[in-house]
Parts: sequence; C-alpha cells; structure tokens
Amino acid sequence: MIFIKKKTGIEKKKARWGFIFTIPAIIFFSVFSFYPIINAFITSFYKKDLLSLSKPKFIGLGNYKYLIHSESFWNSVKATTIFTVGTFIPLVIISLILAVFISSRKRFQKFFQMSYYSPALLSSVVAATIWLLMFDPRGLANQFLNFILNTPGKDYKWLTSSGMLRLATIIVYFWKYIGYFTVIFVTGIASIPQSINEAARIDGANRWQVFSRITLPLIKPTTLLVSVMAMTQCLKTFSTQYLFTQSGAPLKPIDVITLNIYNTAIRDHQIGRASAMSIILFVIIMVLTLIQFRVSKAEEVQY
Amino acid sequence: MIRNKKVVIVFIAVLCMIVGLFGKTVELVFWTHEDPNRTPLEEAYIEEFQKMYPEVKITRVTYPSSKIKEVVLTAFAARKGPDIFNMEIQDAYPYVVKERVAPVDLKAIGLKSYDELLSMYVEGTMDPVIYNGKIYGLPLEVTNWCLYLNKKYFREVGLDPEKDYPKTWEDIVSTSEKLVIRDGEILLRRGFDFRYPYYFTEWLPLVVQLGGSLLSEDGKTAIINDEAWLKALQFMKDWGPQGKNLGSPTYQPARNEFNRDNNSVTMCMSGLYQIDRIKAQNPEFYESGEWMVVPFPVFENAVNDVRCNYYGHYYMVNAESSKEKQEYAWKFIDFMLSHPEDYLVQVGLIQPKNTLLDSEVFKNYPYADVFMSDLAKSQPVPLHPKGPQLEQLIREAIEDVMLTNVTAEQALATLKKKANELLQED
Repeated sequence: MIFIKKKTGIEKKKARWGFIFTIPAIIFFSVFSFYPIINAFITSFYKKDLLSLSKPKFIGLGNYKYLIHSESFWNSVKATTIFTVGTFIPLVIISLILAVFISSRKRFQKFFQMSYYSPALLSSVVAATIWLLMFDPRGLANQFLNFILNTPGKDYKWLTSSGMLRLATIIVYFWKYIGYFTVIFVTGIASIPQSINEAARIDGANRWQVFSRITLPLIKPTTLLVSVMAMTQCLKTFSTQYLFTQSGAPLKPIDVITLNIYNTAIRDHQIGRASAMSIILFVIIMVLTLIQFRVSKAEEVQY
Repeated sequence: MIRNKKVVIVFIAVLCMIVGLFGKTVELVFWTHEDPNRTPLEEAYIEEFQKMYPEVKITRVTYPSSKIKEVVLTAFAARKGPDIFNMEIQDAYPYVVKERVAPVDLKAIGLKSYDELLSMYVEGTMDPVIYNGKIYGLPLEVTNWCLYLNKKYFREVGLDPEKDYPKTWEDIVSTSEKLVIRDGEILLRRGFDFRYPYYFTEWLPLVVQLGGSLLSEDGKTAIINDEAWLKALQFMKDWGPQGKNLGSPTYQPARNEFNRDNNSVTMCMSGLYQIDRIKAQNPEFYESGEWMVVPFPVFENAVNDVRCNYYGHYYMVNAESSKEKQEYAWKFIDFMLSHPEDYLVQVGLIQPKNTLLDSEVFKNYPYADVFMSDLAKSQPVPLHPKGPQLEQLIREAIEDVMLTNVTAEQALATLKKKANELLQED
C-alpha cells in the first residue's frame, strides 16, 4: 500500500511562493544560458559564415564529421586535457590542504582567507598580463629559478617550449583560483559539528585520523562541489591562453577547445563549426560532471 | 510681465514640439581604433561637420586596435554594425567581398566618376578596395614599415650608423650579433627583432625577395617556390633561440622598447607614425636626434627588390545603413579626409593623396622620403577571404622552426599541405 503524503495548505502556499521567487532566475537562465545552448545546437548543423547575409546551408552532421577528422580539433582536445588534469587535480588537493591549515589556525584565519582569495578578484586578463611580464625571458620567473637552482643566465623558455608554456598557463590558473576553492573548503569544514571532532579526540584519535576518518568523509559534498566547479572552470579556460598567444607564445601547445572555438568563429568566420565544437565541449563537461556525481553518490556518508 | 513669460514658455514648448515632430536628426555611429593623436583631430572635424550639417549627430567610439576586429565582426554578425568604421584592410576585405559595405557615393562627395576619384590617389593604393568595378572605401592611411635605429648603440659598438646601417638581411644578422648583449641565454639588448606576428606585412616580403610567393597567379595553389620558402624559414630558425638567439616572439615588442631608449633594443620595424609615438612617449629621445630611419632590408641575392608590404586603413560605410545615413557618412568621411596635411603633421599618417605627396609639408616631414621610396617598391598585404587563416598557418610554421626542433623542411611540408587543403575547402 502506498501512502502519498498530501501537502497541507501552508506547504502548498510556501511551494507556490518558492516557485514565484525562482521565476526571475529561471527567466535569466533561459535567456542567457538555455537559449544560447539551443541556438548553438541548431547552428551546429549549418554551414554559416558569420559575415555572410546569405541563408545558412543545412549540412546535418557535416560540422561534427569535419571535427572528428580535424587534426586541429584533436590537438585542442589534447591541450584541454593536459591543462585540465594538470590544473584541476592540484587545485582540489592543495586547496583542501590549505583549507585544513587555515581551519586549524586559531588566529589570522580571516587574514589567510583574504590573502589566498585576493587573486580571484583580479580579472583573468589582468592576471595573465602580470604573469606575462614575469615569464618574459628577462622577467622574475627566470630570475627566481636561476637564483634557486644556481643557473645564472639560463632561459627556462617559459613562453616558448611546449612543456614550459603549458606549465606557465597552469601556474597562472592555479594562482588565480586556489584561494577561491580554499574558501569553499574552509566553509565546508566549518559546517562539520564540533562535537564529532571532540568525540573523536576523546576516543584518542590523532590529527591525521581526525582528518582522514572524520573531516574528509564529511566534507564529501564540498569536495564534489569543488571538483565539479574546478573541472568545469578548467575545461572552459580561455583568457590566459588567449592573452599568451596574442603576446607571441606559440598557439599549438595551448590551443584549448575554447580558444579554437574563438578562432574558428572570429578569425575564420565559421560559426557553424565553432558551434559544433562548443556543443561537444558542453557534452564533455556534462558527462564528466555526471560521472563525478555518480562516483560520489556511491560513497555517500551521513552524520 | 508674468503673462509675457507664460507666452514665451508656451511659444518655446510649441516650437520644441514642431522640431520634435518635423525636425529629423540623422545619427551616425563611427567606430575606429584607438589613436591618442588622432582623437582630438577627428573630434574637431565632427564638431565642424555638425555645424555645417546641424541635422547630423556623429558619435565617435574608439576600441583598442587588438579588439576592434572582433567588436566590428560581432556587431555586423548581429546586423547592428556601425555606420562608419575602419580596420586593417586584410581584416576589412571580407566585408567588401560579402557585400557588407557600401560602395563610395560619388554624388555625396561631389565627384562624377570613379576615374576622377582614382586620379586623386597614388596609383595602386586604391586597389585593395576595388571589387567588381566598384570602390568600397577611402584611405585613412596607407602604411609601410622601415627600419628605425638607435644611433647611440651603434656608436657604442664602434659602428657608424650613417654608413654601417644594415642594407641587407645578412647585414641585419651581422650587425645584431655585434649589438646584442646577453646574460647567458637571456637577451638583455637585442640588435634587431621582428614585429611578431605580423607575418603578412613584414615576413612575406622576405619570401618574395627570394623569389617565392604565397599564392599562384590563379590563386588556386598556395606556397609557391619551395626553395625561397625554405631559405626564409631557415633564416628565422637561425634568428631564434634554436639558432643564433638574436630574437624571439616572447620578448616585449621591439617597437615599444625602442621608444623607451632603455638599452633593450637597437633596431625595430615600424611605420611613419612611430615618429609621433616616440615624440609622445619619450620627448627627450625624440629631441636628441639619436634615432634615424633607413629602408627595409633586402637579401644580398634577392630575386625581387620588394620592400615591406603595405597595408591600409580605409574608412568604410555599412551597406545596411539607410541611404540617407550612407550619404551623410560619405560626406563626413570626405570632409575628414580633406585634411591630409593635418593627419600627417598631427598623427603621422600618410593619406596617399597626390596633393599631399606634392606638398611642401610632406617633402619636409622627417624621413617621409625614405618611406615613400620604399612604398614605391612595396606590394600590398595579400588580400584573400582566407587570408587570416593562411597567416595563422605561416605563424605556426615560423614558431615551429624558431621555438622547437622542427626543421625548415618539415615546417614547410606541413605549411604547404595545410595551406592547400584550406584553399580547397569550399
């Protein structure tokens, strides 16, 4: 026998008001996110020149077929994968470590949070510009490494060699977002009831045991949130790579999918092909996010 | 008295209503790139023009040179483009081919025929905007680049700038080797460095000097004369960090450092406008006379004596603007461009008008003769609907040879394959 709990009058009223309050957000999302996604999806089936006034030509899956055989697209997939893996994993791990460090401080907690968070306030363009000056062969990056490694006059080719260039973009991104994710972790850790930690301590758990057996499992929702956000951000990275290539760095090693989309649309005027690429990126992000949700749900912990 | 006041107020209100109902204002939106020296000049022209035509209101909006390309493109894609705009011709050319800009309105500028218009300009300088027998733009500037050098650093290494300035690309290498100051692998002072990544303008002439070309005469095949391309690519490999380490795209642009006179670069390539920029940025250096301009170098064994490719900024009018707006837009453009001497003296821009070139102002302008004699041997930057993609492929080839272990032969093979595939795409 199935019992369906009927909503009372007050609950109904609350739900109605709740819905009304979400309407602006739904409209906003529909206009600025949902409509462009649908539009891009439709455009991806057409051969359309951004400047031409003539009617776009329907080519079905033509743009997708082209991309599958495109060397440039697969290079972008590779560049995006290297960047995402190289940035997302250290971002999640180190922001967690920093959050634990900050949470364990009795003093200067706010100061540390602010210090780590401040780069996130800078626009990506400003951040990339600052780092470009540092990565100039005569800049601070070479000076620092030469001092530390005692290699006077060595050019570490931050913006020229493929590996160093990729590392340079990873450093910029990591520096910019580490504070942002640290603050989210700090909030997650703060939400764990103090009584659980205290009980563990009374039972004789050491710091590592408290962290690995209590903190880590209980902040799983936060870890999921951070990992989804960090991964999505990394997959969508654009301005650092754009600015670096505009300033003379070679395109190929850092031609991430978003940069390829931009060049295909703005430089080549191929908006249909660019739309197909953005739909593929959208699907990749969605699939990876769903996988993360699935994996984390399987190990859900409650207190 | 009070009654009189009321009458006056009512009269003014009625007048305003009549003007509002019947007096029509034509609003022209004018987008251009940032140029601090040009802004006050054109703002003054707008004011003057609006006095001549009180029914016209012009809004001038500036964008950074690096941004205007995409801003104009996205606006045109959304069919909300400005009434008047300008960009480098290689970026503006697709607007002509795709019929997004209107042909010059001869009646509006008081001319009878295209021939009459063409006769006002230096031969060939209007070619980039002639398409299917019509003219689609009027030149704000035509620019070629010559070699700027800092005499002080030449003397410092025992060279006489007046005699020992580089005439050939081989000279550029040998002079740079004398001028360069290094800290290990790091260049503290460069002799010369290229203007990356403007390869169509500055680097393609090297290929042409050696006998090569970007496209075949029928435009169906790309990368003509492998030997010339190989030599030019090898030159870049030898120039970069993998070779003699005399320069690289990742250092700060040479032309900016040149103005600072801070011992970081001795020679750079730029247009006549650079003179005004030196004056604005570093008046002391400008006044010192420690700089000079010499012609674009040519290879010792050059097959063709061509100099730096020239490019232009042409004022164009949106084909989707109303006929009335188009007419006023051409009138306004013509009005602005009727002051070529002001543009030269105040901004350092050369409008290729015969009257300007024959004027005393031009003849007495520093180094104008060097630029003009080079311009006579210059070709326009290649104009092709797939030009930006072809330039990107050349960029990739040059970066590969300069910054990686890819050989000139490998880079050329990839460039040739990709460029021809690009041309074959419908």
